[in-house]
Amino acid sequence: MKIKLKKLALAATSAAVLGGAASSAQAANWLMLQGTEPADAAARAKVWGFVQAQYQDDNSDACKTGCLPPASLGGYIPPKLVGPNLDNQSGFNVNRARIGVRGTGLPLDSKVNYFILTEFGNNGITYPQDNTHLTDASITLNHIKGARVRVGLFKNPGAEEALQAIHVFDYINFTSVTNQMLLERFQQEADTNQIPTATPNASMNQYTRSVGAFRDVGIQVFDAFNANNWEHSYAVKYGNGNGLNFGDNDDNRDLYLYWSSELVFGGNGPRREGLKLFAWYQDGKRTNVADRTQEQDRTRSGLGAKYLKKPFRLTAEYMKGEGMIFQGQHRPLHIYNNEEADGWYLEGGWYIPGTKWELDLRYDTYTRGENHPTSAANDESTFDTVTVGVQYHFNRKTRLNLEYASRDNKSDTPAVDAQNEGVDGRFAIQVTAIF
Amino acid sequence: MKPMAYRLVAMLFALGLCFTSVQVSAAEKSFADTKVVLQISDNDPFKQTLVLNVANNLVKHYGPDQVDVEIVAFGPGLRLLFAENTNKDRIQSLADNGVRFAACGNTVRNMSKILGEEPVLNKNATTVSAGVVRILDLEKQGYKLIKP
Repeated sequence: MKIKLKKLALAATSAAVLGGAASSAQAANWLMLQGTEPADAAARAKVWGFVQAQYQDDNSDACKTGCLPPASLGGYIPPKLVGPNLDNQSGFNVNRARIGVRGTGLPLDSKVNYFILTEFGNNGITYPQDNTHLTDASITLNHIKGARVRVGLFKNPGAEEALQAIHVFDYINFTSVTNQMLLERFQQEADTNQIPTATPNASMNQYTRSVGAFRDVGIQVFDAFNANNWEHSYAVKYGNGNGLNFGDNDDNRDLYLYWSSELVFGGNGPRREGLKLFAWYQDGKRTNVADRTQEQDRTRSGLGAKYLKKPFRLTAEYMKGEGMIFQGQHRPLHIYNNEEADGWYLEGGWYIPGTKWELDLRYDTYTRGENHPTSAANDESTFDTVTVGVQYHFNRKTRLNLEYASRDNKSDTPAVDAQNEGVDGRFAIQVTAIF
Repeated sequence: MKPMAYRLVAMLFALGLCFTSVQVSAAEKSFADTKVVLQISDNDPFKQTLVLNVANNLVKHYGPDQVDVEIVAFGPGLRLLFAENTNKDRIQSLADNGVRFAACGNTVRNMSKILGEEPVLNKNATTVSAGVVRILDLEKQGYKLIKP
């Protein structure tokens, strides 16, 4: 009897300690992981970062007939070229190399923490300007229970694909809806689209400012609350609406709203297991840099769910946008249109039990040009992609991604459709090392 | 108050003192076969997890009745015993199984000067005059010092 009681006590101890470990870990959602530190257990300055080196090979063909003007040039458009340079169809690239510091400046006071991260890799953030760009610089004040305050430059609360930490992203390339509708391009007055050229040797990336990288400078009130096995989180952010640029370029501000509820199964950190439901909304205005009397609304919203319980992962997101719909070089005479767009994706992963391998499959679709206000004709373009991927986890912080994306782009506008005709598959391989 | 009542109150008070005394001595006069004092004086957050893991492993291996574990925190390591420390649930679980926690009084005073107010400690922590003295005293009583 005594032994039984002792065994019970031991079991209770282990369960309680393990349970305690799980519940006391740094809250495992993106708002909390990126914006807070573990109470009274954070370093003064924890140096961290990651490197991603990749090779991509695009099998697309140039447009042959019926191309965009000037028709004689035919040409290659961005989906057929490898970014950010957009001047070839294959090549190696160090697309991300980020190093940062985070922690609590005064370790005795866990009510204040900070987060700094700089990008040294070659991508839409760094390519246009100086090959180095600060992506995050924020301070969080945790003095008010239920209303933490974060100020500075940091990720906007929004779509899972955009908000999640990129170094644990299960694919190499974004879905079309995230790439085109959420990843905002910021132009300057002199910026224009490069008209497709006959050979893929002219840089088509003509932007002189960094992409938004799903970030903005502003202030955010947020927190997470536990109720039984559920964790509920909210965020309200008010920002410049000017991406990675520190100052603002107009008098307009963006509002970001976010809610998530997650049934937590266990674990902690970015790979915490659970079923998360989320919804978000972003609203702002953009000033036409070439004509500052013109303004355009930019509204984005979405909802989704993510399930992760090894060996299975399943994610689904639907997103909708209105205004500032990026046109790209499919329409060299336009950069943005005041149209509507929407898209969604469904993706899943299977961690092969007992191995370091993981299989991934994703379908994504994006439609833009819906309800075009100035065109009598139907002006829609659709982008469908099926991505098959494999990951090999060398260890918890180093992994290899391989993926092949099969793409089918279409447009109701003949010239745009002609450009999309030759878009074909793309192979990509990438190694990620986190430190 | 009548003399009888005085005597009753005095007796109850004395009984209370005795009971408190027994509580304290029970902590120090352990009958466990294995007695361990764990030191945490480091600022490194990983050390916090490590010292709690070690305590848990000791309890798990020997059983709560057969091992006497006290964690003494001083210097930067005192953060482990702050009331809102992220490991507070683990500390509670260990305390429920007999693990004791001692907080260095000198460190508390010094930290109070830096913070401008006294840090709120975990309710399971007992403040001792000096963490290092506490360790020496426990070693004299046969405790083995381990610094994870």
